[in-house]
Amino acid sequence: MVQDRLQQIFREIFADDDLLVTDAMTAADVPGWDSLAHINLIYAVEREFSIQIADDRLASFATVGDMREHIEELSGVH
Amino acid sequence: MTERGDTAVAQGPGAAGSASDPRIAELMARAAATELPTARMCRDLAVAHERAGDAAGAVRWALALTDTDADLPAWSAVAGVLRRCVARTAPLGRTAQVAVLGSSTTSQFTALLPLAAARAGVAIETYECGYGQYRQEILDPDSGLYRFDPEVVVLAVHAGDALLPTLADDPDAAVAGEVLRWTSLWDTLRERCGARIIQHAFALPGESTLGHLTLRTAGARATLLARVNAELGRAAGDGVALVDCDRLAAEVGRRSWFDPRYWHRAKQAVSLAHVPLLARHTAAVLGAQLGASRKCLVLDLDNTLWGGVLGEEGLAGIALGDGAVGEAFAAFQEYALALRERGVVLAVCSKNNDADAREAFERHPGMRLRLDDIAMFSASWDDKPTQLRRIAAALGLGLDALVFVDDNPAEREAVRQLVPEVDVIALPADPHGYVRALAAYPFFETTAVTAEDAARTEAYRARAQLAAAEAAASSLEEFHRGLDMTATVVPLDELTLPRVAQLIGKTNQFNLTGRRRGAEEIARLAADPATTVLCVRLADRFADHGLVAVVIAVADGGALAVDTWLMSCRVIGRTLEDEVAGLLMAEARRRGLARVIGEYWPSPKNALVAGLYERLGYQRLDGPDDPSAPDVTRWARAVDEPYRPPGLMRVVSTSAPARPTATVIAQPRPRDRRMEEVPR
Repeated sequence: MVQDRLQQIFREIFADDDLLVTDAMTAADVPGWDSLAHINLIYAVEREFSIQIADDRLASFATVGDMREHIEELSGVH
Repeated sequence: MTERGDTAVAQGPGAAGSASDPRIAELMARAAATELPTARMCRDLAVAHERAGDAAGAVRWALALTDTDADLPAWSAVAGVLRRCVARTAPLGRTAQVAVLGSSTTSQFTALLPLAAARAGVAIETYECGYGQYRQEILDPDSGLYRFDPEVVVLAVHAGDALLPTLADDPDAAVAGEVLRWTSLWDTLRERCGARIIQHAFALPGESTLGHLTLRTAGARATLLARVNAELGRAAGDGVALVDCDRLAAEVGRRSWFDPRYWHRAKQAVSLAHVPLLARHTAAVLGAQLGASRKCLVLDLDNTLWGGVLGEEGLAGIALGDGAVGEAFAAFQEYALALRERGVVLAVCSKNNDADAREAFERHPGMRLRLDDIAMFSASWDDKPTQLRRIAAALGLGLDALVFVDDNPAEREAVRQLVPEVDVIALPADPHGYVRALAAYPFFETTAVTAEDAARTEAYRARAQLAAAEAAASSLEEFHRGLDMTATVVPLDELTLPRVAQLIGKTNQFNLTGRRRGAEEIARLAADPATTVLCVRLADRFADHGLVAVVIAVADGGALAVDTWLMSCRVIGRTLEDEVAGLLMAEARRRGLARVIGEYWPSPKNALVAGLYERLGYQRLDGPDDPSAPDVTRWARAVDEPYRPPGLMRVVSTSAPARPTATVIAQPRPRDRRMEEVPR
């Protein structure tokens, strides 16, 4: 399930095994989610789901939910 | 590498409590079920240990992760664990302030470098220049770079930074101009902060508009880049090291090394997938610059140097030299031999009858390695951890200088558990993969290849023979006299300078101040008439140990102040330091000075010389002068107080420039025109 794998990626990137990822979550909710962490996150997501997120979509993710939906769209995994 | 299992954790410092943590217990059980823990296991164990408050365990697993195929997210996660936990663990042998300068996004690289450096034995603090600011920071004397006062500057640049055209009309001028651009930045850096420099040499691009015509076109950009790399290597000399990024790029594939999506998106000049590899290799070069590289490769015999078990199959039954399998083992031996030729000391550690094992070296026609190539030959039925300790002791090396290679997973595991300081290389089951497994190990990196490097195995072998002679002599003094030792004071010149710089760069144990100076700085210091540089070679009837002791002292007021005093660990315990102390006193007298003053700067590795000045009759001076170094002790000795060195060796001086491998012992006995006894 995308949500579980996404949560694992977040836990890895932010080194926090208690992190619970929700659809409503934004960068402001996660300590350490700066531009550097963001590019690492995008890289990890692309690698985990074997997808390539288009550049114009990168800026359009307001929440984790937006990102999850786009991953589901591209990967066909739900 | 890694240590695992309940015993290892229970032994670890600060492990109390974490072994009973159920999460850790579960993860440890999983890790123990496999020889090499996966990246994921290492990462989970590092995080779990940190949560359980076991900083040492967390750091150990963080470092273990760097030896796996872990990807960037896992590296980033444990780099964070290391950052938070490292202050609460035993300090590493070396520390350094490292500045990373680049023109692209170097944040990931800079974040991972402390983890990679810790694995190489150096605790670093980093500074990262503003995005794209590398030239400005170097050229502006008031920049943050110089306020940081780095000991090492990493120029994390990439091919895009080379101002080379796609096709040059005048290739020679283009190359010369580009090389000058970088070497003048080096010069500015060294002038202003004396830092050592590590530059990422350029990875060649994966695409070429000229296609196969590139090789025939002197002005093609790829051709120019390759020449610039080579010219930078030639210009680097002492104090500048290059990371061969083109080799790394070729290893992973140039198209994989550079990812245009992340270049255009976030100015990642190296694909994020390979930033860990780049950090690891930069750290290996950094470790070598700071003298933290591994020195000795310890080889198993059966199924490592040849196929089969000698004790069962006999000399005629082992696979070596002929046939596909035999060729694989011969190729592995040849690789080990090439390592020995560039200065890595070789040792053998085998469970075998000593005579049988030696016979294989002497008689098997397929052997590439000879007994002469092995500094310490240990074949016995003792367990390997015991043999490894014996090898380290006989060679006068720390266990953390050894790298152990064995085909047997059980032996490797025993070594990891019982002598965790030793690095263990896991050979694959198929001997055709042995060379690659060994070649992938990065911590044999050195700063230069010198004449002494090639002779090192001989020097260490002589040292091991000495251990046997020492046991036979009834007293230490008798033993020393029987060695027929000659210390020769040689001048500092262009032939001895590289070796002096190498000794200063890497000597840890017998090193009173730990000041690391590069060749240029030494030459500059030595040019000052107030400075005395004593370079001493030592030879005995077993071996010529080469240039093994260096003292830099400066006449200051009425005293000769010792700036640097160090001695190679090969000759510790031979009373050479007592003779050098006598030379220092004589030099102070010659200059009409009243006292010799010395300092002891404690480090995790130089406890050996903590009591040196006191033993030599120096008086401790009051209080540290430098509040930033409160542990430093200062010592003085008046030159008119009588000093009598043990006199167990002849001390001579040669006024002629020393040849790198001049065999002093082979020359006629004293009173040679070029040699005179030094007055005591």
